[in-house]
Amino acid sequence: MAKKQIYIVDDDESVRRSLGLLLSTFGFQTQTFSSAEEFFSMVSVNDSGLLILDIHMPGLSGWTALQRIYAGIKRKVIVITADKNGGLMERALKTGAMGFLQKPFEDNDLVNLINKVY
Amino acid sequence: MLDKGSIISNISDQLRIKRQESARGKTHNELSNTVNSQADALKVKNVQIKQWADKEQRAEAQIHIRTKAMDAATDGIFIIDVKNKDFSVIYSNQAFQTMVGYSRKDIIGKNYFLLYADIADLRIAEEIKNTLQKDESFQGEMLNFRKNGDKFWNYLRISCVRDVNGVVTHYVGIQTDVTLMRRKDFEIKEQREELLHVTRVGKLAEFVSSLAHEISQPLTSILSYAQAAYRMLEGKDSQLQEILQYIINDDQRAAEVIRRLRSLLKKSDPEVKPIDINKLINETIELMATDVTVRNKVIKIALEPKLPNINGDRIQLQQVLLNLISNSLDAMEGRDEFRELSIRTSLNGSEEIIVEVKDSGCGIPKENMKKLFSHFFTSKPDGLGMGLSISRSIIEAHGGRLEVKNNPEGGAIFYFTIPVGGGVKEWS
Repeated sequence: MAKKQIYIVDDDESVRRSLGLLLSTFGFQTQTFSSAEEFFSMVSVNDSGLLILDIHMPGLSGWTALQRIYAGIKRKVIVITADKNGGLMERALKTGAMGFLQKPFEDNDLVNLINKVY
Repeated sequence: MLDKGSIISNISDQLRIKRQESARGKTHNELSNTVNSQADALKVKNVQIKQWADKEQRAEAQIHIRTKAMDAATDGIFIIDVKNKDFSVIYSNQAFQTMVGYSRKDIIGKNYFLLYADIADLRIAEEIKNTLQKDESFQGEMLNFRKNGDKFWNYLRISCVRDVNGVVTHYVGIQTDVTLMRRKDFEIKEQREELLHVTRVGKLAEFVSSLAHEISQPLTSILSYAQAAYRMLEGKDSQLQEILQYIINDDQRAAEVIRRLRSLLKKSDPEVKPIDINKLINETIELMATDVTVRNKVIKIALEPKLPNINGDRIQLQQVLLNLISNSLDAMEGRDEFRELSIRTSLNGSEEIIVEVKDSGCGIPKENMKKLFSHFFTSKPDGLGMGLSISRSIIEAHGGRLEVKNNPEGGAIFYFTIPVGGGVKEWS
């Protein structure tokens, strides 16, 4: 069985690298991007895979990226953020995300969520 | 017929009589002159006496009007005789008696400074005495007590009364009860501080929010790295896995602190439960144990047994303890001669518990004392300046106080009080 593809977009290098490493130990195929722009330029809408998307980023923010994705095709997205304002989760799910995780999160929580939606 | 001799004697007799008569006349004249001049002198004296009497009457009238005026004055007025070394009062007006609550009989002859009971500020009393003994006048405010124990703020002015040679013979004092003014000032100050606090807390919340975001990022990656490594070592190296588990635990602890910090500033309701403060201190010390050992320090505890429980938020209070302990450790950092940190608890009466954290560092410089509890003030190169200000807010929300003093034997003592049977209110 082919490995599930996970794309990780986070402007924090350590976060995306560690997440990539962690998910690979769970048997996922991972690819990381430092910005939403980079992700859009390198990954075609037809490429399958789940996207883990940070919200608070310079340039194209997670919100804009999320809107752009859902204006076009349906890619499964899990939003992760270190911000903690009330209503973030609601907003993420409303904008089309399949899941939401508050940083820092447990490996099991992330993997369970991925397996549930993808 | 008269003979010649008898004629001569007759003549000489007549002459003598004449002489005598003239002498008598002269005496008479002198006498009347004396009488006249004496009468004149008497007249002058009479006028003088009348003048004196008038003067005295006027003086008496003046004294009368001055005494009346002094008694009509709304400020307390008193006179102290310098001859009496014990500052005894020889005069006091009506307002003074009303202000201090004693009758004139009780006041006259009594030491001015003893009129305010033993609880009055002795330091200011000493200052006044010293000023007066240097023949200088005093002006200042002090907290005094009436006979019935009521407090009042006394705006006091005392000046020296001098004789013709410039020697100080008396002190005259005027005092005004400024309690009402003080109270108004205090209310205004309180309102202003409240406003400042709201602004500060607002700014603090903003700051903590961005800080929490920045810290959450590395916490996320540390956790993920450690969990990835843990999984990679599965079945290969259980010792390394154990270490990784410690890293994971500590990461989660840090994340919990951030979470609490955020919730604190979000005005969320604290979780109030009965707490055994001694137990909480022991648990907190356990948390710090590794840190203390690594830094080559020792914690000594002197916990009063069987303290009553207090009502409070466990995590908030633990945060305060952690902060005080870690500050104390920082104060002794890199100095092997300063090793001992001691924590004490005690019961103050039956109303409050006192918790004391004492280090043996260099103490706190005087100029930093006041700023110590303000937000963003720090003396550490990598400090944020939030620990003590947040700690104080937490303790105040628990109805207590967080204070600091320098230990005369060296080091600083941070101590806080928590009322027994109190509650917790939101603190922002």
